[in-house]
Amino acid sequence: MPGLRTIAREKSGRSALRMLVGGLVVAAFAAMAPAQAQDKQVLVLGVDISDARNFDPARMADYSSPITNGAVYDSLVTQKPGAYEDVVPSLATGWERLDDGQRIRFTLRDDVKFWDGSPLTAEDVKFSLDRLLNVKDQPAVYAQNLEKTEVVDEHTVDLYIKNPAEPIMINLAAPAFAIYSRAMTEAQGGVSTPGAEQEDKATQWLNQNSAGTGPYHMVQWERNAQIMLQKNPHYWGGEVPFERVVIRHIGDSAAQLLALENGDIDAAFNLTTEQLATLEDSADIDIARGLSLDYVYMTLTSSPELNEALGKTENRLAVAHAIDYDGIIEHLMGGNAVRPVNFLPIGVGGSTEELLERIGYREDLDKSRELLAAAGNPDGFSFQLSYANAAIVGTSYQLLAQKIQSDLARVGITVELNPMDQVQLRTQYTGGETQSVITFWNPPSPEPQLWASASIERVAKRVRWEVPQEVKDVVAAAGAEPEPAKRAELYTEYTEMLQAQGNYILLFQPIYRIATSQAIEDFNLTAAGWQVQMGDIKPSQ
Amino acid sequence: MIRYLITRLASMVVMIVLATLVVFLISHLVPADPILAQLGDMQAANPAMVAAYRARWGLDLPVWQQYLIFLEGLVHGNFGVSISTQRPVLDDILQYAPATIELSTIAFLLSVIVGVPLGVIAAVRRDSWIDHVARLLSLIGVSAPTFWLAFVVLALFYGGLQIAPGPGRLDVVHLPPPFVTGLYLVDSALAGQWDVFRNAAAHLILPSTVLAATTLGLITRTTRAAMLEALGQDYVRVGRAKGLKERTIIIRHALPNALIPVVTLGGLAYAVLLSGTVLTETIFSWPGLGRYTFRSAVSLDFPAIMGITFLVAVVYLVINLIVDLSYALLDPRVVRQ
Repeated sequence: MPGLRTIAREKSGRSALRMLVGGLVVAAFAAMAPAQAQDKQVLVLGVDISDARNFDPARMADYSSPITNGAVYDSLVTQKPGAYEDVVPSLATGWERLDDGQRIRFTLRDDVKFWDGSPLTAEDVKFSLDRLLNVKDQPAVYAQNLEKTEVVDEHTVDLYIKNPAEPIMINLAAPAFAIYSRAMTEAQGGVSTPGAEQEDKATQWLNQNSAGTGPYHMVQWERNAQIMLQKNPHYWGGEVPFERVVIRHIGDSAAQLLALENGDIDAAFNLTTEQLATLEDSADIDIARGLSLDYVYMTLTSSPELNEALGKTENRLAVAHAIDYDGIIEHLMGGNAVRPVNFLPIGVGGSTEELLERIGYREDLDKSRELLAAAGNPDGFSFQLSYANAAIVGTSYQLLAQKIQSDLARVGITVELNPMDQVQLRTQYTGGETQSVITFWNPPSPEPQLWASASIERVAKRVRWEVPQEVKDVVAAAGAEPEPAKRAELYTEYTEMLQAQGNYILLFQPIYRIATSQAIEDFNLTAAGWQVQMGDIKPSQ
Repeated sequence: MIRYLITRLASMVVMIVLATLVVFLISHLVPADPILAQLGDMQAANPAMVAAYRARWGLDLPVWQQYLIFLEGLVHGNFGVSISTQRPVLDDILQYAPATIELSTIAFLLSVIVGVPLGVIAAVRRDSWIDHVARLLSLIGVSAPTFWLAFVVLALFYGGLQIAPGPGRLDVVHLPPPFVTGLYLVDSALAGQWDVFRNAAAHLILPSTVLAATTLGLITRTTRAAMLEALGQDYVRVGRAKGLKERTIIIRHALPNALIPVVTLGGLAYAVLLSGTVLTETIFSWPGLGRYTFRSAVSLDFPAIMGITFLVAVVYLVINLIVDLSYALLDPRVVRQ
C-alpha cells in the first residue's frame, strides 16, 4: 500500500502538468476572440440593468431605466447636479404663474428638434403630459396635482394645477414628465386621450426606440443584455460627443470590475465598497462621486400592542441614542456616506449637516440609560428587527442589523434579528405589522414635499403613529411656501417634531461612487433621478 | 410499443398538471403580496392603482379560480402575461430560452464528448495516470461551487491572462445576428457572419466549461464504473478468448452495455443544465432563462413562475421519455420484455 500511494503522488504531479497543458489549449481557443478595439466613438457603460421593465416615460418605474431616459428625453425644466432646491430652464425658457397659481404658462424654446428632425411644439408637450395622465400607470401618481394641459400657441403651453399650494415645479423635472414627439408616438399606436389606459399601444415601440429631444436616441433594448443609444444629429444643446452609447448589462460586480480594468467598459456602476477601496490609488481609474438623495433608515413602532416597550416615546429615543452612527458610516460604508437628521435627506428642504449637529440624534449611552429609566425600563427591553435578505449600496442589511444589535446591547436593549424575503418584508411593513425595520428610501424626484407627506401619511401608518394636526399643518405650510429660507425654516420645525417622536432613525445617506476609465471625462453624477448627466460625458482630451 | 407510448404520454399530462398545481399552491402560500413587488411606494398607497393592478392580473379572484384560468390558458397555448415584464410569458420564454439552450447544449456536448471517452479510458487503464487525472477532474467538477468556479475562470482567463472575452453573449462591437433561432452560433452561420460566429463561440467557452464541470464529473465517473462492470463480464472474457482485438471488445461489446446508466444520467444532466444555469448566468451576465426564473420567483410573478414550471416539467418528462426510448436501441431485451 505505501508503494501505491507513492506512485499516486508521482502521478498526480504529472497530472497537474497535463491539466495545465489542457488549460492552455482551452485558453488558446479562447484567444480566437478579436481583441477589443477601444473606439472612442462609442461610450460603454457597465450597469446592472436586470431591473428594467420598460422605458415608456408614461410607465417607467424602475431604478436603472432613468439612466437611459435621462439621455434620450428632456423635460420642460431640469435640475443641475447638487442643486436640488430649484429648477432651471430646459425645453421651456421661462414660466409664470397665472390665476393665483392655478395655471402655469410655459414658453418653449423655438429651436428644438426631435431626433428625427421634426420641430418641438406645444402640441407635443400637451400630448406627452396628457398621455402620462391617461395611461394611468405608475408615473401618473406623481402627476396627481396636474389637472390638464392647454396649447396657447405653437411655443406656449398652459398647465392647470389642481391645488396651487402643493409644489409641482421640481416634479416636472423628473423623467416621468419627459416630452416626446406626438407624431412619432401616434404613428406607433400612442394615445393620449381618456381611455389611453386600454387603447394606447405605443409602449412596445417606446421600449426599443425613443421619441425625444435628448442628446442621444434609443435604437435597441435587448432585455438583460444591453441598451444601445445613437447620437441625436439635431440635438439643440450642441454637438454630441459620442456616436453611440452602449449600456451593457453586467450583473455581477466583480465581473464589472474586470471589464473596467480590461478596458471593455468605460464606467462600472455597481461596485461594492471593498472593490472601490482597491481602486482608490489606481492610476488608470477615476472615481466619480455624488451625494445621493437615497437613504437607509430604521423604524420603531408606536404601537404598544406590537411591542409594549416601544409604545413609549422614551424607549424609542433610548434606541436612537444608543446607535454608533459614525461607526456605521466609517466601517460599513468606508466613510462614503452622510447622515440626515430625519426624513428629509441632506440637500433638500433645508436639511444640512449643520442641522444634524444641532438637532440630530447622537450616540450618548448615559442619555439612553436615563431615557430607559424614565420609561420604567431601566434594565432595557427587547424588540424584533426585520430586514430583507439583500445587499444594499455596497453593504448588506444583515451587517447593519448585527451592528445595531451589538450597539443596543450596550444599554441592555435586546434586538431579535428577523431577516426575510424582500417582498414579504414589504408586505408586513406596509401592513403596519412590524415592530422595527431597516429599509431603503429612493425618491421619484427631489421635491421635499414627497418625503414630508410620506412621513406623516403612509409611512406614519406603518409605524402606527397618529399624526397630530399641528404637524400636518406645518408640512402643508412648508409645501405652499415659495420663499426658500422660510420654507427651510418650516421643514426644520417639522423635522424637530419627528425627532421628538422617535419613530424614524436615519442611518446613512450614501455618496454614490462610479469607477470610470481615463478614456472619458466630465462624468457628472446627479441625484435628480437619472444618475448621470449623459450629455456631459466626453472622450478625454 | 405504441400502447407504451400512449400510456407514457397520458401519464405525462397528469404529471404536468400535478407539477403546476404544486408550484401554484406553494407560490400562493407565501405570505407576501405580489403587487408590492411591482408598485412603487407611492403607488402601493394608492387604492385605485392597486385595484387596477390586481384586476389586470386576476389577483382579486379566488385562488382556485386563478388556477383554472391558468389551466384554461395553457390548453390554448397561452401562458398569460408576466406581471413584471408586462408582456406575454411565452414571448419572454422564447426570448430567454435560446441563450440558455445554446449554453447548456454546448456544455452538455462538452461533458459528453470529453466525459465518455475519459471514463472509458479511465476504466480500461485503471489506476494509470489518466485514471487519476479523470478522478481529479471529476472531483473538482462535482465539488467546486459553480459561482466560485465561474468567477475563478473569469478572473483568470478574462481578467488575468486576457485571452477570453468577458461577460455577455457578444462583444460590444458586434450586433446580434438576424433572428432565426435565437441561437447565435446557428443564426450567425446562417447569415454568413463568421466574425459574429467566432465571437459568439469565444463567449461560450468559459460559461459552458463552468457549466459542464459538474456534469462532466458525473458522466466520467458513471462511465468508468459501468465500463469496469462490463469489462468484467463473461462475454468480454469470451471475446478475448476468441482472439478479438481489444479495441473491438471495448467499443463493440463492452461500451454499448456500459452506456445504459450513462444515457440515463446524461438525460437527467441535460435537464439539470437547461434548468439550473442561474449562477453561471449571473456571473457571466448571460441573458437566459436562469436569471428570468430567479427574478420571477423573488417578485412573485405568478404567470411567469407557472410558465417556467410548465416548461421545466415538459423538459424533464420529454427527456426522460427519450432516455427510456433510447434503451430500446441500446438494449434489445427492453423491447422484448
